[in-house]
Amino acid sequence: MNRILRKLGWMAQRSRKEAELREELQFHLQEEAEQAEAAGLPAEQAKWAARRELGNVALLMEDTRATWGWTCLERLWQDLRYAARMLRKNPGFACAAVLSLALGIGANTAIFSLLNGVVFRPLPVADPQQLVQFTNTIPLWETGSSIARDLYAYPQLERFQAQSKTLSGIFGWTGLGRINVGSHGTSGIAQGNASSDNLFSVLGIRPQYGRFFSAGEDRAGASVAVISDRYWRNRFGADPSIIGGAITLNRVPFTVIGITPPEFSGIAVGSSPDIWVPLHALDLLKPDSKRWTDPLSSAWMQIAGRRRPAISRGLAQAELDVIHRQFLAQQLPISQFSGLETVQRFVYEGRLVLRPAASGMSSGLRDSYEFPLRLLMCVTGIVLLVACANIANLLLARASRRRREIAVRLALGAGRGRLARQFLTESMVLALIGGAVAVPMAWWGSLALVRMISTGGAPLPLAVDPDWRIFAFTGAVSLLTGILFGLAPAVRSTRADPGPVMQEGTRGGGRSSHLLDRTLVVAQVALSVVLVTGAGLFLRTLQKLWTVNVGYDRENVLMLSVDAKLAGYPSDRAGSVYREILRRLQVLPGVKSASASIVRPVDDEFNLLDKVNEIDGRSLPESDVIHVAWNATSPGYFSTVSTPVVSGRDFEPRDNETAPQVAIVSESLAKSAFPNQNPLGHRLGLATIVGVVKDSLYSGARDQPGPLLYYPLFQHGRDQEYGWGFVSFELRYSSLSNLPDEARREVASVDPNLPVFRTKTLVAQTEESLMEERLLATVSSFFGVLALVLACVGLYGLMAYAVARRTAEIGIRLALGARRDHVMWLVLRQTLWLTLAGIAAGVPLALGAAWYARSVLFGVSTADPLTIAVTVAILLSVAALAGYLPARRALRVDPMTALRYE
Amino acid sequence: MSMRAVSRVELLQGTLDLLILRTLLLGRTHGHAIAKHIQRTSGDLLQVETGSLYPALHRLEARGWIAAEWELSEKGKRAKYYLLTTKGRKQLQAEQTKWETFSRAMGLVLNPLNQEEV
Repeated sequence: MNRILRKLGWMAQRSRKEAELREELQFHLQEEAEQAEAAGLPAEQAKWAARRELGNVALLMEDTRATWGWTCLERLWQDLRYAARMLRKNPGFACAAVLSLALGIGANTAIFSLLNGVVFRPLPVADPQQLVQFTNTIPLWETGSSIARDLYAYPQLERFQAQSKTLSGIFGWTGLGRINVGSHGTSGIAQGNASSDNLFSVLGIRPQYGRFFSAGEDRAGASVAVISDRYWRNRFGADPSIIGGAITLNRVPFTVIGITPPEFSGIAVGSSPDIWVPLHALDLLKPDSKRWTDPLSSAWMQIAGRRRPAISRGLAQAELDVIHRQFLAQQLPISQFSGLETVQRFVYEGRLVLRPAASGMSSGLRDSYEFPLRLLMCVTGIVLLVACANIANLLLARASRRRREIAVRLALGAGRGRLARQFLTESMVLALIGGAVAVPMAWWGSLALVRMISTGGAPLPLAVDPDWRIFAFTGAVSLLTGILFGLAPAVRSTRADPGPVMQEGTRGGGRSSHLLDRTLVVAQVALSVVLVTGAGLFLRTLQKLWTVNVGYDRENVLMLSVDAKLAGYPSDRAGSVYREILRRLQVLPGVKSASASIVRPVDDEFNLLDKVNEIDGRSLPESDVIHVAWNATSPGYFSTVSTPVVSGRDFEPRDNETAPQVAIVSESLAKSAFPNQNPLGHRLGLATIVGVVKDSLYSGARDQPGPLLYYPLFQHGRDQEYGWGFVSFELRYSSLSNLPDEARREVASVDPNLPVFRTKTLVAQTEESLMEERLLATVSSFFGVLALVLACVGLYGLMAYAVARRTAEIGIRLALGARRDHVMWLVLRQTLWLTLAGIAAGVPLALGAAWYARSVLFGVSTADPLTIAVTVAILLSVAALAGYLPARRALRVDPMTALRYE
Repeated sequence: MSMRAVSRVELLQGTLDLLILRTLLLGRTHGHAIAKHIQRTSGDLLQVETGSLYPALHRLEARGWIAAEWELSEKGKRAKYYLLTTKGRKQLQAEQTKWETFSRAMGLVLNPLNQEEV
C-alpha cells in the first residue's frame, strides 16, 4: 500500500516537474525574443531566432529529465509496459510459458516447503540458534567408524546442570508414547512427553493460559500437566476453565496448569506431544526403580540446552565433553560393566557432541525424509531447467521472427544494451508471473504431499505454510529462472548486424543460432533421461520391495493394538484381559484365525533386542553372544500370519504361566546357535526350544534375515511386556467389510475403557513403511512425465520451426521428384540425431545421479540395464512423435505454394 | 552576420557547472540571465548552449548545490530563480581552486619561456 502511495506521489511530482520545465523554457524563449526585439529585429523574426537559439527542445527536455534521476524507473516502467503489450499480443505463448514456469517453480517451492518444514524451520522460541542438543558418539570397534546417539541417564543430566558454565540452561525430556487421558468420565489416547521443569523457561516461551512448570516442581509425586494448544482445542473445546481442573493420565489424577501457545508444537519436527508432565511424573505413570540412579545401563532421556550468548558451540562442547568423560570415568569402574573391555572402550573413546538445534531436536521424521526430499529437490530443479530451456527456445524462435524489427530499431539508433534489457524485462515479467502463480500451487502441492506421507490417520504436524524463507526461495528461483531463459534470447537477438538482416528478406537465421537452439533441445532430452531413469529406478525399488519374501503373508490380515495398562490394569491382571479379547476375536464371523503378539509384522514402534548368552546351561564368552530380536506370541500366531513352522510345534494353550518355559527360534537363530544340530529340546537361557520357524523380516522388506527368538505371550508377558508395552492382535479374515468396527466393539465389550489403536491391515502397514520409497517413486514419476512432455514440446517446436524455414527447399526437392519417404526421413533424421545426442549426454548424468541416490535404491543396481533400456525406448518414441508431426507437414508442402511464398 | 564573426571557444567538459556557480555567487537569477551573464562577462567568447544549460541547472539542483524558487521577474512574469546554497558555495571554492591550478599548469606547459622570463 505504502509503495503504491509513493509511486502515485512520484507520478504526481513528475508531471509537476514536467510542467515547470516547460514553463521555465517558455520564459527563456520570451526573454530571448524580447532581447532580440530590443536589439531591433521585427517581432516575428525575433521569435524564430529565439526558437533557433533554444535548439532541439525534445532533446533538451530529455537531457534535463535525465538529471532528475528517475530515468531508470521510467525506462523500467516503459519496458514493463512493452513487455505486457508483447505478452498480450501473444496470449498463447504467454499462457504456455507462465504455465510451464508455474509448474516448474511451483514444484520446487512445494518440495522446498516440505524441506523447510522438515529441516530448516526454526523453533518458534526466543533465539533458537542458541539451542544445542547433546549427542554422543560410540565407536564401533568392528569397523572403526562410530555411531551417534542422543540418550543419557538421569544422573548425567544432574551432573551437566550442576557443572556447566557455558550453557545458561539444560533440560532433559523423554517421550511417554500413548497415554490414556481421562476427563469427566471420558477417556482418549494422547501423546505424552515428560521433561525437566525448566523446559519452557529455557526455551523462552510463555503459556497461552495458566502457567508452565515452576522451578523445583519436578520432584517425586509431581502431578501437574501442561496441555498443547492443539489438544486443548480438540479435546477440551478451547475451554480456559480447564486450568486448575483435574484430568487423569493412565488413571492417575493430574492437575492441568497451563496451555502452550498456538505456534508451539513441540521441540522435534514431526512429534507434537499433547501433554507435558514433569520427569518425576514418570514414577506415577511407568514406575522403574533404577530410573533416577542408574548412571550407565539405562540411558532413557534426551538432553538439550541453551548456549550463553557469547559462548561458541565449540567452547560449550569442549566443556561438556570433559564433564561427560569425567562422569563416565568415575562411574564405570564401580559399575557392573567394570570388567567388560568393549564397554570400557566405548566409554573412553566416545565423545560428547553438541548438535545445533535451532530447527528442533533430532527427529525420526527428519532422519527419514531429509535425504528423499533433497533428492526430490534435485528432481524438481531439473524439471525447472527443462522448462527454462523450453521457454528459452520459444523466445529464441520468436526473436528470430522479429529479426527485422530489431534490425530496424538498431539501425535507427536504439542501444543494444537498451534492447537487451527490454527483452530481459519481458522474461522477468514472465518469470515473476510464473512465480506468483506458483505460490498457491506450491502450497496446495505441499499440503497434498504432507497428506500423502502422513500415516495413522492424522496429518503430520508439519508446518508448510509459506514463511519468509519460502517466499525468498520462490522469488530467488523466479528471478534466476528469468535470467536463465531470458539471457540467451536477449543477447543473441540484439547481436544482429542490421545491414545483412535487412537485405536477407524473410528467410532468417545464421548458423550459430541453430547451434544454440539445438543445444537447448539436447540439454532437455539429456535432463529428461536423468529424470526418467531416476523415476524408473525408484519404481523398480518399490516393486522389488513389495516382492521380497518377508516370511509372512501380507494379504487379508487386520491388526489392532490394545493397551490394558492405559486402562489401569496392573500387569498381573492384563494377561487375562488380553486372553479374553483374543477369545472373542477368534469367534468373530469372517475371522479365520486370530492371534496376539507384542511385536506385529512390519512394526513401526517396536524392535525388541536381546542377547542369548547361555545355551544349555553353558555361558557363552562375550565374543560369541548372539544378538537377537525377540517377540512374544500367542498360540496360532504363525498360522495367522502364515509363517511356516519348519519343525517342532507352535505355542499351545498349555504353555501358560505355570508350565515349564519354552521358546521358538527362527531358522537363522537355529543355524547360529546350533550349527548342524536339531535345536529342538535344547535350552536358551531357561527356555526349552519347542519349534523352529522360517525367518521373518519384521522391520520390512529392507531388513536382513536375522536371529529371532519367540516366547509364549501368556507365559512370558506377565513379568515382561505387559508392564510397559501393549499387545497387538492379528486377524486373518475372509472378508474385511466392517471387521475393524466389530473388533473394536468386542474389545469394548471386555472393558469400554480399553484403548484400541493402530487398527490397520498388514498391507496398509506395509504401505506406510514404504512411504519414503512411494513418495520418491510417485513424485519423480510425475515429474519425469512432465519433463518428457516439455522435452517433446521442445523438440516439436524446434522441428516445426526448422520445417517452416525449409519450406522452400522441401518444395523444390518435391518438385524435382524427391521421394516422400526421403523427405520424411530428412526431418525425422534430424530429430533422432538430436535425441541420440541428448541420450548420449543424459545416460552418464543419470548414472551419476543414481549413484548419488544409491542409498535409497533396493534390489536394483545404479546402472540397471532394464531401466536404461526402457528410458531410451521411451525417449526415442517421444522424439519420433515430436518429429513425426512436422515431418508430415513437410510432406504436405505444395511445391508451387512453397516457391511462390519465396 | 557580424555577431557570428567572433570566433567562440568550445566549453570544456565540466566547466559549465563552475561558470553557473560563479554567476550565482553574484545573486539569484533565472536561467536566461545566467546564460547572458556568462556570455557577456566572457566578452562573447563563451556561448552557453541552452541545450546544456538547463540539464546542468537541474543537475546542480538535484545535487543540492543550487536551489530554485519561482518568483516574479522584473517584468512581472513568473520565472524560476536559482540561488547558491551553502553546499554550492563550498563546491564553488573547491572547483575554482582546482580550475586555477589546472589553468596555471596548462599555462606552464604551453608557455615554458614565460616562466623563465619571470
